[in-house]
Amino acid sequence: MTLLEAFPTTTTAPVPLPTLLLSAMVWVPALAALALLFFPSRTEAQRQRIRSFTIAATALVLAFGVFMWYGFRDQSGTYAYEETRQWLPAVGSSYHLGVDGISMPLMLLSAFLFLFAVLSSSRAREQTKEYLILLLVLETGVNGVFASLDYLLFFLFWQMQAVPMFLLIARFGGQRRLPAAWKFLAVDIAGSAFLLLAILILYFKAPVRTFDIVALHDVVLPAALATLIAWLFFIAFAVKLPVFPFHTWFIDSQAEAPAPVALILGGLLVKLGGYGIIRVDVGEFQDSFHKFAGAVVVIALVTVLWSAIAVLAQDDVRRLVGYVVMSHMGLVLLAAASAALVALNGAIVLMVADGLTAALLVLLAAAIVERTGTSSIGAMGGMAGRMGKGAVLWTFAALAAIGFPGLAGFVGQLMIVVGAYPSHRIATPLALLGVLVVAGAMVLTVQRIFFGAMPERHGRIRDLGTLELANTIGLLSLIILLGVLPAILMEGINFSVISLLSRGAG
Amino acid sequence: MTLTLLAAAPKGPLDAWSPTLLAQFALLLPLIALLIILAFTIDSRRVSAAISIIFTLASVICALLVVAIEAAHPLHLERPATYLQFFTGQSGGPSEFILQWGVLADPLAATVGLAVVLVSLLVQVYALSFMRREDGVIRFFGVLLFATFAMLGVTLSVSYFEMLLFFGMVTLSTYLMIGHWWQREQAAAAATRAFIISLVGDLALLVGVAYIYFRFNELNFQTLAGQYAGGRVSSNGLFIMAILVFIAAAAKSALFPLHVWLPGSAQAPAPAAALIHSAGSAVCGVYLIARTYGLFHVSPRGLALLAIAGGLSAVLGVLWALFQDNLKRAIAYTTMGELGLMVLALGIGAYGAGVFELFTHAWPKALLFLVAGVIIRELRTERLSEMGGLWRRMRFTRWLMLIAVAAAAGIPPFSTFWSKDTIMSKALALDSPLAIAVIAAVTFLGAMALARIFALAFTGETARRRRFEPERIRDAGGRIAFAMSLLAIVSVVAGIRAFGSRIDPIAFITFPGVPLPNSHFMAAAVMAATAVLGVGVGWVVYARRLPVPAALRPVRHAMGEGLFVDRAYRLGTVAVLLPVSRAMGWVETRVVDGATDLIAESVAFAGQPRSWLAQVRARRLLIGLFAGVVALGAITVVLAGRIIGKAG
Repeated sequence: MTLLEAFPTTTTAPVPLPTLLLSAMVWVPALAALALLFFPSRTEAQRQRIRSFTIAATALVLAFGVFMWYGFRDQSGTYAYEETRQWLPAVGSSYHLGVDGISMPLMLLSAFLFLFAVLSSSRAREQTKEYLILLLVLETGVNGVFASLDYLLFFLFWQMQAVPMFLLIARFGGQRRLPAAWKFLAVDIAGSAFLLLAILILYFKAPVRTFDIVALHDVVLPAALATLIAWLFFIAFAVKLPVFPFHTWFIDSQAEAPAPVALILGGLLVKLGGYGIIRVDVGEFQDSFHKFAGAVVVIALVTVLWSAIAVLAQDDVRRLVGYVVMSHMGLVLLAAASAALVALNGAIVLMVADGLTAALLVLLAAAIVERTGTSSIGAMGGMAGRMGKGAVLWTFAALAAIGFPGLAGFVGQLMIVVGAYPSHRIATPLALLGVLVVAGAMVLTVQRIFFGAMPERHGRIRDLGTLELANTIGLLSLIILLGVLPAILMEGINFSVISLLSRGAG
Repeated sequence: MTLTLLAAAPKGPLDAWSPTLLAQFALLLPLIALLIILAFTIDSRRVSAAISIIFTLASVICALLVVAIEAAHPLHLERPATYLQFFTGQSGGPSEFILQWGVLADPLAATVGLAVVLVSLLVQVYALSFMRREDGVIRFFGVLLFATFAMLGVTLSVSYFEMLLFFGMVTLSTYLMIGHWWQREQAAAAATRAFIISLVGDLALLVGVAYIYFRFNELNFQTLAGQYAGGRVSSNGLFIMAILVFIAAAAKSALFPLHVWLPGSAQAPAPAAALIHSAGSAVCGVYLIARTYGLFHVSPRGLALLAIAGGLSAVLGVLWALFQDNLKRAIAYTTMGELGLMVLALGIGAYGAGVFELFTHAWPKALLFLVAGVIIRELRTERLSEMGGLWRRMRFTRWLMLIAVAAAAGIPPFSTFWSKDTIMSKALALDSPLAIAVIAAVTFLGAMALARIFALAFTGETARRRRFEPERIRDAGGRIAFAMSLLAIVSVVAGIRAFGSRIDPIAFITFPGVPLPNSHFMAAAVMAATAVLGVGVGWVVYARRLPVPAALRPVRHAMGEGLFVDRAYRLGTVAVLLPVSRAMGWVETRVVDGATDLIAESVAFAGQPRSWLAQVRARRLLIGLFAGVVALGAITVVLAGRIIGKAG
């Protein structure tokens, strides 16, 4: 096979505009990153230009996403905006992209969060260009994972989000950034190893040599083999989720990464784990997954309870946010294990809600830490006097994290509880115990940071600035919108979850 | 005028005068006012307060109209709207998961709803003057509006789901009200505690929703009302549902053992405390039980649970009230007693009487707190031991306090007498000595506690303290007096049941299957006597300010602290959670993190010392990475193609 044949060629007629949007959402950030390489960045003005360009690029991706969402609701097939091109026909891998009700909300979330991340990267630093290039490459990776319907492509995009994140933490993080970054990379590589192993076993053992998810769906494998593959996939995704005991990389990274990066990490990257479990384990390997669902439930429960108690004991506000995210992802895992329709709907809604909530919490925590010079909650107090708006926003964020009615998390939590209860009558109330502990801890945190008397040294702190306010209020509006009108997401999600579950398969 | 209104209401199918439409207005008006204030008038105190009061007044008018229409044509009307709906195409045909919210206007909702908005209005008028000189007035009014909206939502709830929704909002509003003076450590801590306990109730309700949905596939109150008795769910299942609903109610209505937030509610400003205790969170729980009474009605164990828990809370509440030094806390504990009494009434089957007690109790309780606010402000102390001699100095307020105490104690012909005697007559009808004894004891001790408050605050001489001159005490006037007077008037008349059944409030709120309680003359006499006796004994004991014998001081201290239940909770949580979290921290740092660190270090080591990373130019690194990926990718693709092509 010559080099020429190895390159992708278009086999179908020129694709109509809509399906191009999906590829655009995936590749525009990478193209923007490539373009940024040629921007000079010596003066302040040039750095501003770089920043504006990046904002424009991410805004463009968001526009694509919203546009796609409008057309998405009329979908009739399993996957919308499906696009298949030849890529490596000899190997059996094709450039197969497509979204359904499970990945579309997450792609929308990704588009929003990256825009907010870029907007909140306001500090013109020495290496603005590199920083933004890394963020954009990260966006390509994340969007690609959500969109790909080909295992090899999935794996490649999965890798594409590991290295930029590692570099972002290692170069731009806090004091203990290097150990945190190495930990992140190490755990990610370990997880990817399992992922690759699972994919390769599936590839070699399937009767048809293909990497295509859709095609492989109809393949029948011996039960033991299918269970093994499902387990390997599960471990790979669970490490990313993160579950106990593979969660310390996440907490450390949340604490050390700069705020916009932590926003992406907690708001988006961990959702990849949840997405993977739902897409692959529940979608493709339902019966095998069902065999070890009990173990998964136990893991989910331990994750929720462990992170809940850890939230209670935390003094560092950034690590606290990390544990809160972890508790939500534990609930998502519980829902996935139950594989009930209502619960899965709730899981996806909770992932979107948690992404927004985590982003809000991270931004506010960063604002507080920057102003007080410390991330220790014990050193704070009475800040509501100086940071009135910050106090109100943090209270809203805490309520959203608790799952307060009227805010996004409520719908997800309610559906997960109602949906998972029939099949797990003991686990669900226990998980709610974890929610209670997290809730109590969050309210206590509000009190410890904002109420009471203020220590002398914080006398001169200022309230949230315009940019910070714009970002946080933007996120809050989305949270309230989703909480009051969950129906805007539900139709699309519901349709896909029904088809996912009814397709079954081993 | 009411008669003309009644005459004017069309008979037959109601569409133009639909009570549900009016109820919807009543519900949404406070929320609209809040949004207007937040959006437009957040800088102006006067305009914000004016908007708040005007909209609440409009809401009161709507509520009055609803009650009037309901009195003319008792109907159960519902107006649902869909919150969330999707298909669950699992079991063959497309079934639905549908969550609805809406308003349900029936006599129960109308009565309690009226109480809520009217108390809210009067409290706001009071707060106009009372909070005049404070910061955060607009925030206060906003929170009051939010609380009114939340409470109305609870009363007008159509389904368990909507109840859950609004319960959460009531939790938040209580938190915001108690924590209004957030600069005080005590207030902030009390608010946090109230939130957490209320949240326990909300989560219990969430589990209840899940379980009820799982068993009945239905969450709507009206639809479920007929299904409880259908035999679809075993009595064990029904009892579990009853327990879950009870926990939710207990957390909100401060029933033992979830009562520990109630004394802390005294940290709220007086008008807010008035709202919480008379028509706020405290009422929510009892209302939930009344609304879901169908469930309890078919579960005898559930009813027994109500009766026992209610009776216990009632007795403990009034007992502890006798030993409180803090004025607002003393009143708060009497609320606990009253709420326990209401739940006890519901538990023994006196449905109409229990709900009526809810209605009649709201007015004197609100009045008590409002007067307490005036007293505390003028005397500049919250401690009963430092008060006294107000009878001479506050010539108007003294009458209001007298009315409030008499009405709350149950002295005829004031409001709560009429409901308490009906409860007693039910107990007599049941011939249950325990119930009779408990009700009598609670009335007696409650009256005594109220008399104690009155005696300690109003009789005797005003103590002279440092920097405080009793001559400076001024009586309440203006809007404060106006609001309190209105409450006093309602406290007097609220209970009167006409002897014709046309406007009999207790007959108004009926529950199918529960016989309408008649008022025995015997019961009336017993209750009247008990209440008067209690007041008398309280007066004798406390007006003289007999010193407590030394031997009883520890008892007094223990009772004052609520038998240390609150401390037990705190100790328990700390004693359990602290070592657990420490152990967890150890496991995490040493074991889990240690292992991960090991892996990470080996990777780092394998990739050569880390210091190069800080030195290398990122741009070069990126270009190198890009190039490397492209090159590597190309080579891999070619090689892979070759190898797999050969193998395949």
